[in-house]
Amino acid sequence: MGAPFEIGYVFSFLPKLLETLGVTLLIVAGSLLTGIVAGFLVALPRMYKIPVLRTLSGLYLSFFRGTPILIQLFLFYYGLPELLKPLGFDLSRAPVLFFVILAYGLHTGAYAAEMIRASVEAVDRGQVEAAYASGMTSYRAFSRIVLPQALAIAVPVFSNLVIALLKDTSLAFTLGVMEMTGKAQTLGTLTQHFFETYIALALIYLVISFTLEKVLLAAEQRLKRHEAREEKAGRSFKLRRKGSYRAVLADIDAGKGGRL
Amino acid sequence: MIELKRISKSFGRHRVLQDISLSVKTGEVVVILGPSGSGKTTLLRCVNYLEKPASGEIAIGDFKMDCSQAKRGDILRLRRKTAMVFQQYNLFRHKTALENVMEALLVVKKMPAAEARSRSVALLEKVGLGGKLDEYPSRLSGGQQQRVGIARALALEPEVILFDEPTSALDPELVGEVLEVIRDIAREGITMIVVTHEMGFARDVANRVVFMDGGVVVEEGTPDDVFQHPQEERTKQFLRRITPEANWVI
Ligand SMILES: Nc1ncnc2c1ncn2[C@@H]1O[C@H](COP(=O)(O)OP(=O)(O)OP(=O)(O)O)[C@@H](O)[C@H]1O
Ligand SMILES: [Mg+2]
Repeated sequence: MGAPFEIGYVFSFLPKLLETLGVTLLIVAGSLLTGIVAGFLVALPRMYKIPVLRTLSGLYLSFFRGTPILIQLFLFYYGLPELLKPLGFDLSRAPVLFFVILAYGLHTGAYAAEMIRASVEAVDRGQVEAAYASGMTSYRAFSRIVLPQALAIAVPVFSNLVIALLKDTSLAFTLGVMEMTGKAQTLGTLTQHFFETYIALALIYLVISFTLEKVLLAAEQRLKRHEAREEKAGRSFKLRRKGSYRAVLADIDAGKGGRL
Repeated sequence: MIELKRISKSFGRHRVLQDISLSVKTGEVVVILGPSGSGKTTLLRCVNYLEKPASGEIAIGDFKMDCSQAKRGDILRLRRKTAMVFQQYNLFRHKTALENVMEALLVVKKMPAAEARSRSVALLEKVGLGGKLDEYPSRLSGGQQQRVGIARALALEPEVILFDEPTSALDPELVGEVLEVIRDIAREGITMIVVTHEMGFARDVANRVVFMDGGVVVEEGTPDDVFQHPQEERTKQFLRRITPEANWVI
């Protein structure tokens, strides 16, 4: 079970793990970018019901959502070079990170595609009609009217997607990538303080997830400010009530003070 | 001058519009009446191609288009000569009242921002919303939203404004303020095609009344003709049903 527990190790491991934070964030950022591009490409044929491509999109979604991410990682790492060799591409020297980002990116793409489709379809049909009726091209109607509203709808789903991705990247160590989880394993083996390493690791993931969640929540509220009616009214109402409640108390106090 | 010739439209096997022809002179206010499902909305939506007619011709001013072979450019030109006021207002939800009116001026007409802004402010003041420029639609009453919708349509200076039951989604006490605005702009000589169930309003705003049923124009004429001396049995039935008090008078 390793060496006896010493809390001090948790703190000394934190900076060591943080050295590899960059790699983890690189995987997250690279995969997100790939994923959003892939997501659009996969979502479009489904939204516009383009015959053959639509079926291909369906297959893509089934594969990436229906198989474990770990297996997808292995399939890409071991399979892609073999597949591309006959076509004249030599991937034997490509960095591991390339495969990792590609696998996570395409995996994220499946979820991004569903997010995009659902958000765009959630925008009221009347919005597009009003845009068309005033003479906008379909590109303008999409970019100026549908997209901003779809974005606001998508943010909560996007938030989940990014956090899931962040956590999933911890599996990249299985291919020998020195990201945070890989580093934690090495530290654990070296010092035999496994429990402390994983506490430190969990703390870091927790802080990043929490920050991401807050940032994206703020973004959502900003994007949805046009819908703030009930919420804001409710809040100011409560504030006012609290205020007047305090004011009443203050009055009572002042009254007492005055009399005494 | 707007001219619809032999417009036909089907949904599946259901022929909703059957060879409808209608012409509207510049400055004229045409009110379309008819029972539910008679094709009024569909006809209006064919005029700006939100619904694709199967066949027929649409001419507005010097622009003419054959519906069966309309190209993207034709549709865009058609839409830029018309504006629509929707039953459900359909204001852009993420834009303020002012931005709603400005949007197409900036994006479609490529008007400089300052000019678009001053024109939009003036129009919103005209419909009585000078104090609500920066409100989002979610904070406006239905009547206020519809008045923004009307300002948005006016801003484009279209050759015709299409109104599809502009007051039927409103609470009864808000209907008046919207009808008042429409009356005002009708007096200014703006060409309009209005679908409505407000008979009193139809009577005093219309230059011509068109009665539709089953996808065809059954009868048309001045408000007096159609309301006082309807010729067709279907028109009489409809009027009797919709204005029961007429029975008492007769
Ligand atoms: N998108 C659609 N798909 C299939 N059928 C439709 C569609 N839109 C309208 N219809 C049908 O076409 C017919 C005419 O509809 P339309 O909405 O034009 O009638 P309307 O005269 O505007 O009625 P109302 O007074 O109720 O608004 C109706 O029978 C309706 O069910
Ligand atoms: Mg209708």
